[in-house]
Amino acid sequence: MSSPVVAPSRIKSLFGNQQFILLLVLFAMVAFFTWRNPVFFSNAVFGNILADWSPVVLIAVGEFFVIVSGGIDLSVGSTIAISGVVSAFSMRALTANHVGQNMTLFLGLLTCVGIGILVGSINALLITKARIVPFIATLTTMGAGAGMAIVLTGGSQIGDGPAKAISLSVPDFGPLSRPGIVIVFIVAILWVIMGKNRFGRYTYAIGSNSFAARAAGINVNRHLAKVYILSSVLAGLAGFYYYLLLSVGAPTSGQGGELQAIAAVVIGGTALAGGTGKLSGTVLGALILTTVTSGLIMINVAANWKQVVVAILIAVAVLIQEFRSTGGTGSGPIRRLLTRNSK
Amino acid sequence: MASKRNRAASVLAVAAAASLAVVGLATPSHAANKITIAFVMGAESDPFFQAMKVGADAEAKAKGVTIVWQGDPAVYSPATQLPIANKVLALKPQGLVLIPTDPVALQTINDKAIAAGIPVVNVDTHVKDLSKTTSFITGDNADGGAKAADAIATAIGYKAGKTYKVVVGLSSATATTNVARLDGFTAAVAKKYPGIKIVDKAYSQSVPATANTNVNNWLTKYPDLAGIFAIDGTNGAGAAAALQAKGLAGKIALVGYDAYPTVVPLIASGVFTALVAQNPAAEAKLAIDDLVAVINKTAAAKSIQKNVVIPNVLLTKATSAADLAKYTYVAK
Amino acid sequence: MTTGKVLYEVKNVSKNYGSVQALTGVSLKLHAGEVIGLVGDNGAGKSTLVKVLSGAHQPSEGVVELDGEERRWDSPHDALVAGVETLYQDSGLAPHLSVSSNVFLGREKFSKGLLGKLGFLAQKDMDRIAHENLEKVGIAVPQSNRSVSQLSGGQRQAVAIGRAVSWASKVIILDEPTNHLGARQAGEVLAVIQQAKKRGLGVIFISHTLPHVLQVTDRIVVLRLGKIVADAPTSTFDAESLLGTITGLIEK
Repeated sequence: MSSPVVAPSRIKSLFGNQQFILLLVLFAMVAFFTWRNPVFFSNAVFGNILADWSPVVLIAVGEFFVIVSGGIDLSVGSTIAISGVVSAFSMRALTANHVGQNMTLFLGLLTCVGIGILVGSINALLITKARIVPFIATLTTMGAGAGMAIVLTGGSQIGDGPAKAISLSVPDFGPLSRPGIVIVFIVAILWVIMGKNRFGRYTYAIGSNSFAARAAGINVNRHLAKVYILSSVLAGLAGFYYYLLLSVGAPTSGQGGELQAIAAVVIGGTALAGGTGKLSGTVLGALILTTVTSGLIMINVAANWKQVVVAILIAVAVLIQEFRSTGGTGSGPIRRLLTRNSK
Repeated sequence: MASKRNRAASVLAVAAAASLAVVGLATPSHAANKITIAFVMGAESDPFFQAMKVGADAEAKAKGVTIVWQGDPAVYSPATQLPIANKVLALKPQGLVLIPTDPVALQTINDKAIAAGIPVVNVDTHVKDLSKTTSFITGDNADGGAKAADAIATAIGYKAGKTYKVVVGLSSATATTNVARLDGFTAAVAKKYPGIKIVDKAYSQSVPATANTNVNNWLTKYPDLAGIFAIDGTNGAGAAAALQAKGLAGKIALVGYDAYPTVVPLIASGVFTALVAQNPAAEAKLAIDDLVAVINKTAAAKSIQKNVVIPNVLLTKATSAADLAKYTYVAK
Repeated sequence: MTTGKVLYEVKNVSKNYGSVQALTGVSLKLHAGEVIGLVGDNGAGKSTLVKVLSGAHQPSEGVVELDGEERRWDSPHDALVAGVETLYQDSGLAPHLSVSSNVFLGREKFSKGLLGKLGFLAQKDMDRIAHENLEKVGIAVPQSNRSVSQLSGGQRQAVAIGRAVSWASKVIILDEPTNHLGARQAGEVLAVIQQAKKRGLGVIFISHTLPHVLQVTDRIVVLRLGKIVADAPTSTFDAESLLGTITGLIEK
């Protein structure tokens, strides 16, 4: 049982604020990379970072909703692959039939959203009706989606779509491309929904105590279905983004995307146990991840070190959560996990 | 009522997931006196093997042979290949084409088949002890890397005494094809073009978007970049997209590997300076020819060449349309 | 016996789970402004009866009547809408949400106009009203926008009961509300029950803590092995006779 909390001082609350720490980390990274290679501080590099960030933030935000609801979605990466290649097939066929480029791209976008809805619905049925735990349910769709993407394409990239696709991924708005602007807009809407809308409230409530949510009359299964469909649709949009970036649908696109998404959420200060977390943290978490990628290349560190840096960031994020949840008294979840058998 | 409906829905979901997941083993049709040859390859997802399958299917049709084509859908690993190879042997094919993912781990399969009277041909990679194996047919990746170096040097108008910055996009630090291509490239550069400096390397894990990120950052980091060697198809796609998006197509030399139908047209449009193409279809054709000769005990069986290296070819703007068509991998 | 009208009634209710008979022919009347104590040993059928009363389970046999009308609860939500609130043991609140978000959980107030139609919340109104409603039933929570996880165990339980009492229009079922509470905190909870009674609600109070039952109830119903073995005014029991009835040492 926790004792009543003493009103924290302003500075302490600032440092207890994960977003503030994340901003500090981000600024420190930018400063460090710029110090080692001044070229880093340029529109071109920020453009590269935001181009990487755009699809990652989509799946990370979807993953954020799922994790806050108390679940996990391992299928986001393979949903990128399957939506990307199915959409590439349809756009190739439309192009071959001389359908206009804008119409083709629009239908390609709809295809990605449709695949997202399909995968999300399968996840939702497995979780809410078949009562399979989210980890296993989405592991199934993850494997199935990735397998399907390879079976359908035979491993090849699918091209011959609308020629103007590649021009859409050029940054026109400072460092942001047109699809990037749309993604910022989508994330902003979801941010407002998470904080101010009933949809966000129910997501937090179910993750916090699904029994209480059910007892309060919330249709928990229906809400969870929406959350998983949202996550998959965002992954489908990321699949479309990768198509625009590369002009091809690749069956390997999105590989490891689920881990990137989960890493962004965790670095953003969201507990995997659910019920809590800030979407702005996830947005910053994704930005930190993609900044590391570009930064390491710019300062001549082999990009494989990225995994090590990301691992350290995750560890630090979890330690901060640990500290915040206990005020430094050392009785948080890790401590409890370590001492569980001794009690 | 409600529970019945739920049940139906969940069964539907499971069935849908299962139908997505199932990649079953095909069973060969044992038509009377028709030869069945099994191919156990690396990873089905690799277009290299897809192109090999096209060659195998064509030759099988020509020779009236049935093909059993098996391999892991995506993972190039002995751990996944061994059980598949065992299952295939249980089908008792008359001949086996083995593309071993590991020289030691797959030796047992190789020897087990031969002991059971099934002749074996190794393609692309080989097991450690080839003494009882009918033949080993491979492409020359090191030679392909050297050809890529020549193509870049030509495209940038290499002159002794000047320095040029070049980057290499790889997929994996350990895959033998990547290693051989890079070694061939590096050796040729050191020997013939000392002015070319390989300033950066990165790995894409076969994800084109990652390759794209790498190239985008290189283009920012090295404003005077002269050339890019994209060591496989995923790196080629990532680099081509980055050059096109930044308006640098044709201004920076880009040499790719593997003649996928999506990239071959980019030679004509100037995005790719050149593509190094392998000929997996020819490897498969030769493998089938060797096995059929051994199985039918024809005269040709006596003149089988034990080690065959099929050279890589360089496709450029100068390549004839007929040759481009010939070397372009057939894909879905 | 209380003279208020019969509010909530189960008639001849039985419930079996497969071959296990959890309740046999249970009949129970709850009047307006009455507090019933429901007691019994573990496995006596208390939880099953609570589930039937709260709409979580449907009886295998027998009927449930609210205000003299036969009702069939397909879910706890049905019962909730009809005015029957249940406070479950230890799991009534979402700890990460604020006090007011918990009070309004599932019954959110929306903004005016289009935003409200799109599901946007009137959080300030909810904060204010939650505070007022809790105060009305005698619960003072310092800030209703504070997260429940920052409250003490007693405060949490008070909020949970306060929420149930402030929403209940007819019946309130409290499953072990004083469990794990200190004497002072338990006293506050019992005071809230008195408040609910004053407001004319029917209260069903389930507890193992017999002194609390004797202190706050008007009538005590004792369950044993799925049957009601005693149903009498609280004044007819003392601690010893109640314990005897529960364990079966005293036949009543």
